[in-house]
Amino acid sequence: MITVIKKMIGGVPVPGKKELSEKSPIEFAGIPGELVLFMSQHIGAPSVASVKPKDQVKRGQIIAEPGGFVSAALHAPTSGVIKAIEPRYHPVLARMSEAIVLEPDGKHEPAENMSPTASDLDGILPEQIRKLAREAGIVGLGGAAFPTSVKLAPPEDKHIDTYLLNGSECEPYLTADHRVMLEQADKVLFGFRALMKASGVKRGIMCIEDNKPDAIEAIKQAMSSYDGLELAVLSARYPRGGEKQLVHAVLGREVPPPPGLPYDVGVLVSNVGTAYALAEAILTGLPLVERVVTVTGEGVAKPSNFKALLGTPLSYLIERAGGFTGTPGKVILGGPMMGRALKSIDVPVLKGTSGILVLTKEQAVEEPILPCVKCGKCIDACPMGLQPLWISAHAERGLMEEAESFRAMDCIECGCCSYICPAKRPLVQWIKMAKADITSRRKAQR
Amino acid sequence: MNKNKASLGYDFIKGFIQENPTFSLAVGMCPTLAVTTSLVNGFWMGVAVIFVLTFSNVFVSLLRKVIPDEIRIPVFIILIATPVVIVELVMKAYMPAMYNILGIFVPLIVVNCIIFHRAEAFAYRNPVLNSAMDALGSGMAFTLNLMLIGGIREFLGTGQIAFGSAVFPKVPLFEPAAVMLTPPGGFITLGALMALLNIAVARASKRKKSESQVG
Amino acid sequence: MEDRLLVTPAPHMKSTKTVQGLMLDVVIALLPAAIAGTILFGFRSLLVILASVASAVASEAIYQKAVKRPVSINDFSAVITGLLLALTLPPDVPVWIPVIGSAFAIVIAKQVFGGLGYNFVNPALAARAFLIAAWPLHMTRDWLNPMTYEALSSATPLVGFNATGQAGLTLTQMLLGQRPGSIGETCILALLLGGLYLIVRDVIDYRIPLGYLGTLALGTWIFGKPGALFQGGALSGVFLGGAFIGAFFMATDYVTSPVTQRGRLYMGIGAGLITLVIRLWGGYPEGVTYAILFMNLVTPLIDNYVIPRYYGSGHDAKARKAAGGETR
Ligand code: SF4
Ligand code: SF4
Repeated sequence: MITVIKKMIGGVPVPGKKELSEKSPIEFAGIPGELVLFMSQHIGAPSVASVKPKDQVKRGQIIAEPGGFVSAALHAPTSGVIKAIEPRYHPVLARMSEAIVLEPDGKHEPAENMSPTASDLDGILPEQIRKLAREAGIVGLGGAAFPTSVKLAPPEDKHIDTYLLNGSECEPYLTADHRVMLEQADKVLFGFRALMKASGVKRGIMCIEDNKPDAIEAIKQAMSSYDGLELAVLSARYPRGGEKQLVHAVLGREVPPPPGLPYDVGVLVSNVGTAYALAEAILTGLPLVERVVTVTGEGVAKPSNFKALLGTPLSYLIERAGGFTGTPGKVILGGPMMGRALKSIDVPVLKGTSGILVLTKEQAVEEPILPCVKCGKCIDACPMGLQPLWISAHAERGLMEEAESFRAMDCIECGCCSYICPAKRPLVQWIKMAKADITSRRKAQR
Repeated sequence: MNKNKASLGYDFIKGFIQENPTFSLAVGMCPTLAVTTSLVNGFWMGVAVIFVLTFSNVFVSLLRKVIPDEIRIPVFIILIATPVVIVELVMKAYMPAMYNILGIFVPLIVVNCIIFHRAEAFAYRNPVLNSAMDALGSGMAFTLNLMLIGGIREFLGTGQIAFGSAVFPKVPLFEPAAVMLTPPGGFITLGALMALLNIAVARASKRKKSESQVG
Repeated sequence: MEDRLLVTPAPHMKSTKTVQGLMLDVVIALLPAAIAGTILFGFRSLLVILASVASAVASEAIYQKAVKRPVSINDFSAVITGLLLALTLPPDVPVWIPVIGSAFAIVIAKQVFGGLGYNFVNPALAARAFLIAAWPLHMTRDWLNPMTYEALSSATPLVGFNATGQAGLTLTQMLLGQRPGSIGETCILALLLGGLYLIVRDVIDYRIPLGYLGTLALGTWIFGKPGALFQGGALSGVFLGGAFIGAFFMATDYVTSPVTQRGRLYMGIGAGLITLVIRLWGGYPEGVTYAILFMNLVTPLIDNYVIPRYYGSGHDAKARKAAGGETR
């Protein structure tokens, strides 16, 4: 039997809620009437449009080039005509932002130049994989959307010895990664090996939470035919899948405080979805134009896992999932712990959108905030070993330097502290404000 | 003339509320907490302070043009110490029992902040009559404060109030709380009274504001 | 329809723990001790308990009304204060003692400082200390004999134990609480039941009672017998007096105990040491109240210096070492 890794600082046991959608196979969501593709859907510089309004495009054709080294290309998810290039409301940036609007023609015609690069990894060089990742616009699909080609080329002086593929999916409700691992285990491992080859790492570890036994089984089966891959099963606890938490649990190494990154301790971490997208790009030539999105929650009739074209409106996906049950209370982009509540569902799927969560009116209640009773539960829950009550108390009073001295910048914004607080204090919200303030002051000093 | 009279009256009155030495300026805390275990103690301590304060305020004011700024503190001390010695000797001679109770706090009036405060903040810059009024006002307010605190503590701590030969009889069924005679009791009483005065002042100023708005 | 979507910051899921729920758990955990006290010392003690709770709740409501703050009596914290105070009173005290004590606890020790979360000492203990200072005779003489409900002519067993190291009671008697003492402090089994309930429900941190009782037991074992070392009665040391109720219910008060796990252990150890010193070498027969009050005052200091180990601190330590190595 595999031993389950339990190691973790703090963390909270959250109700998984995975049962809502974990049994629904991934379905193609279909082609909506309009796709909205933002220039900024990744970390780094926005892409630069390479098409004009009225241009005809085909599925997989490039429509925007990377706008810098840390940036990503953008491709047409289906065939159709460019309707406009105009500002639309960006759900993550929470402001208007430049986007390419594509009107599909329904033919779903692939671009001519789309063809497999290789059918196995022996026929492809590491540089080729990195170049492909860049050309295919692949970014981390776990949520942060960091360009993968950049991640695959860490600074020369860092000696990387281990690659972790993160399939823990610790956010409640979400099952996209779960379904991908279960249905596409082979492709996931192919992509993983491609990532390892591209970065020259010999040791690869698949990391899965123990609440997905069927996915573990599928991966184990698929893995038996390769050397150099290991499987790490971890106890289900939030935020198991935080990359710093994962590195600590699996390898016993602690990533240095910010600006430290996993590669400082010789580790790279990617998401299961990223590996899958890379595999698709190598094996079929299809760039990143679609992703698996879980549409779930007590507020939708038929919780499902969809393969959705980038730019698909959330309203379309919710409709495909059977629509709302009654009046929705809250619609969240992402999971319940770190996702963002939306004021409108007329926003599109982004590269980093792993799920859409609809809560009912009854679930979406605002509880009154009480004074802190100093129970210390937020401290016990913080996976970074911080003292959220003091950071937030200082931030609330505008004492940002004090907040910084309590290591506000170390916070990974996981939300464990707010989750556990019996006084229902919005701790992480204050801490985020402190972080934003500290960052802007540091910039100003420079 | 009229104006001067009004200001004389104000100089007398202000010591009771706005510049109440105990409750709003929080000066002269040692005797306030130490000797107020009974009403009588508070009264005599207050009388001693009135005498010293008036004496020192009048002389500081008289000499205010003569005293060089640099050495005013030593001069104040001499001007204050003189009446303190007088009080001390008179008390020792005519009321030794009370002198024993008040003990060290009588000579300590020399460094009592009320007296210094009034000398420095008022008498040193104002004419003699005003300074005298100021001293009387502050002193009497101080005396009242001490009697109030002392009375409350005496009543709660012993169940009776004795003033000379007149004794308010014990209230039946009331069990005195010994803690009121200890320092914590002093602090609690002082804190409660301060809070009440603050509330009263806040209410009054609020009323004044709303009235002026209506007007 | 859509503009009615609720937009709040993450997380959108909250644990089911509420302040009210935690406080209710404490009330539940205190019930066994209250029932045991009623059985052991008779109906009078129930009267004391009820009077104390009623006064605490009423004081809170009246004060909050008077200063126009939202009335928060439904968070059960006033109930706990009233209950805790009553359980530490001698059973035969006049009923006005808990009434005044609870009012003092709520108004002077808690609300004046801003209410729940802002008080710096445990209100029930502050009130107890006040009552001891105010009416020492009632607080040290109104004992009853268990089950017979007769007034006690001698001192409580703890006084004798401190002087001679002999408890004069069997273990069963101590566990069941068959000895004179405060209403809720004697029945160790009932207190243990409540305390374990709180630990299992993750309401309190076991480190405080462990540190407290452990230190006290160890210290009593070493120094408890006059004239000899390592012969004291460790169990009697923690079973007699108020150490049990103090360790599980008083010292663990959230607001007035440290926020970190390590800090809480230190608080327990500190309270144990002070209790020991007061009992063996101090002027009072029992030191639990003052020990915990003292540790309440030290709590901000502990919170300032005892901080959790943060993730990645090993790298900082290494860097510091390297830097230090270079300069030397
Ligand atoms: S949000 Fe930040 S402070 Fe709160 S638990 Fe997570 S890491 Fe700690
Ligand atoms: S969890 Fe909430 S109530 Fe408890 S210490 Fe943290 S902020 Fe305060």
